[in-house]
Amino acid sequence: MTAATVPAAQARAWHLPRPARLLRLELRRNLMPWLLPLFAALFWLATYRPAMAAPPLWDTRGTMLQAQTMLAFAPLLAGAAAWAGSREGRRGTGDLVDVTGLPRWAGRLAAWAAVTCWAEAVYLAGVAVVYGITAHQATWGGPLWWPIYVGAATAAAACAVGFAAGALTPSRFTAPLAAVVVFLALGAGAFALQHGARPTYSQIWPLNAQGAFPPDAIGIFYPYLPDLAIAQLMFVGGLGTVALGALGLPAVSGGRWLRSIAAAVTVAGLAAAGTAVGLAGTARLETHGIVIPALHDAASDRPVAYTPVCSAGAIPVCLHPAFRGFLPDVTAAVTPVLHELAGLPGAPVRVTQVAVTTVAQAPSNGANLGPPILSGHPAVLYLPLSDVSLPGPGTPTTAFIGELRDELPPLLNSFVGLKVLNQPGSGGIIAGPSSPGAPAQIAVAMALAQDAGLLNPFPVPGNQPRHGNGSAQGPQATGAQAQAAAQAQAGAASRFAALPAATRHAWLLTHLSALRAGDITLSEIP
Amino acid sequence: MTPVATGVRQTSGPARRLPAGLRLTRLFLASRRVLTCLLILVACAITLRVALQWLPRTGTLSRQIPLTVEAAAAAAIGVTTRSPFGDTERAAGRWLPLLRLAAVVVTTGAALGLLATGAASRHLAGGILDLLRDLGGFAGIALLAAAVVGSGLAWAGPLGYLVVAISAIEGNWTTPWVWPARPPHDHGAAICAVVVFAAGVVVHTLRPARSSARE
Repeated sequence: MTAATVPAAQARAWHLPRPARLLRLELRRNLMPWLLPLFAALFWLATYRPAMAAPPLWDTRGTMLQAQTMLAFAPLLAGAAAWAGSREGRRGTGDLVDVTGLPRWAGRLAAWAAVTCWAEAVYLAGVAVVYGITAHQATWGGPLWWPIYVGAATAAAACAVGFAAGALTPSRFTAPLAAVVVFLALGAGAFALQHGARPTYSQIWPLNAQGAFPPDAIGIFYPYLPDLAIAQLMFVGGLGTVALGALGLPAVSGGRWLRSIAAAVTVAGLAAAGTAVGLAGTARLETHGIVIPALHDAASDRPVAYTPVCSAGAIPVCLHPAFRGFLPDVTAAVTPVLHELAGLPGAPVRVTQVAVTTVAQAPSNGANLGPPILSGHPAVLYLPLSDVSLPGPGTPTTAFIGELRDELPPLLNSFVGLKVLNQPGSGGIIAGPSSPGAPAQIAVAMALAQDAGLLNPFPVPGNQPRHGNGSAQGPQATGAQAQAAAQAQAGAASRFAALPAATRHAWLLTHLSALRAGDITLSEIP
Repeated sequence: MTPVATGVRQTSGPARRLPAGLRLTRLFLASRRVLTCLLILVACAITLRVALQWLPRTGTLSRQIPLTVEAAAAAAIGVTTRSPFGDTERAAGRWLPLLRLAAVVVTTGAALGLLATGAASRHLAGGILDLLRDLGGFAGIALLAAAVVGSGLAWAGPLGYLVVAISAIEGNWTTPWVWPARPPHDHGAAICAVVVFAAGVVVHTLRPARSSARE
């Protein structure tokens, strides 16, 4: 150092207030730049690749930036922060810094802030990359910020917890143990969500975005419900505050007033985290996402206005503009079925995409999603795409069309008058002894499905044996009787499917009302 | 007899070399905190046993939690390679490569034995073969990371690889270089894990863990 540079350096240093100078020093002498290549590689593997393989929907990619990114980042951030926090203990310089004029709590907070600044910079850089690319690819909408807020808060909380562990128990083993504990805590949260006795409380898990609600239906037809995100922010913010407050509790951290403030901060953090868990316990899955009554804003229940994009044809297929790119594939999937129904009484005049028809919480943090439904006068086919894998690099178009077609047979069931269970995901029928016309209805539905090219003409999930053995005959119909009934149904279906389309259409035009009323028998089917 | 005289006599005759060698070994292991490492490995084994009691037999979690415990054990092994003496020790110690090799073999063997004991009579997805392969691979990564970024940060290697492995399991990757995503009897994955472990042991034996500028 030359004599000329000393005054210049001193002058520059005095321009900054003392906390800012300390923060600048900590930012420069930080572990995080050494870990940047590792974080970049993990972001590419854990978030960027799956995000780019997913359809360019803001909601799908936004939730990945909360869940996948934090699963990769949070443990390592905790480890890096623990390493930074244990610095004085590892180097044996604790006594030296304890006697400086700056309270130890302030010094430690500056070191934590430096690690957190690096962590947030890394995370937000990743968010910028994914959202920047999505902005070029998406056909509708804008970035979802609530998942990003939760992700950023989780990163800060992981740094706080790790830093506190490192500062309070300095050892060469603290950093890996902090990282592993965060890993296991995230795993335990996933376990509690899927297998816990009280899974509603587990919704607070910070990697959980809208629970089991399908990610490609969040924030598109209705605004993104921030209820759960607010509770998660309270929870991770509370945990982080507890950790930072605990740093100020030891006697060396500062004077009595400062330690009192630290104690108050710790208690406030505990209260916030506990309140958040309590709020999560009241969460319920609704048709727009996770609702927490105490945090819910009724304005979020108003649908988002949009102009649908529709195909040209006798029965237009209309999708949300966010799904504009899938219109040809959806049209190709549903057109054969629409062709079978066109012109018949009760046939849909339009196909309209909806987020979900019905949704219900299922075990293991699952959701039972309802099938497409026909509703209204004139009838409209409400078609959700949430239960199928959207086409993209990971899902070929043919697979998407096949999955969507598999959703349609229940629609044919209801069209011919079979009583369809109004339970999400059932997709099946109730055809018992009280439905004497059910065999004919089943046969016609099978014939229509067969003619429409549906691979699985009559799915009755979890009910295949009953269906295969003639469900129309009821539980008492077993053995040879059931076999004979099933053969009769299949024979009638084959016979009806073999008819020319015009003949079949004409017969349905005449007899559809009677068929729906259950007044047609198998022998009356041409 | 004074301690100095004792020391002279111990190094003067072949019959008295054993205690000195034992003392050297004990000091070496103490300087690496091997006892703490073993305690952590015992804690890992207990964690694994408790987790296996509750975990489902299939699914991502049935692989993710045992892998996390294995990565933790490997991270502890990696961190144990750190020397508090640095160049002073390297300049004076002729037996250091052998001691380093012995320490790694002992800690890795202990980790395997303890984790296998923890998983005994419980359903471990992939079985003991999987445990052997994955733990060996993780330990190799930890030793290589210690050589590259310093033993203090060696934990970042296995834990970073753990994230990759979890992504691979969820994405059904087939590359043998991400061996935790492969079935236990996959020869390619086993070879990759063995190569990484051997490379880690050789590098650590011949070249002591780097002292990072951020130590």
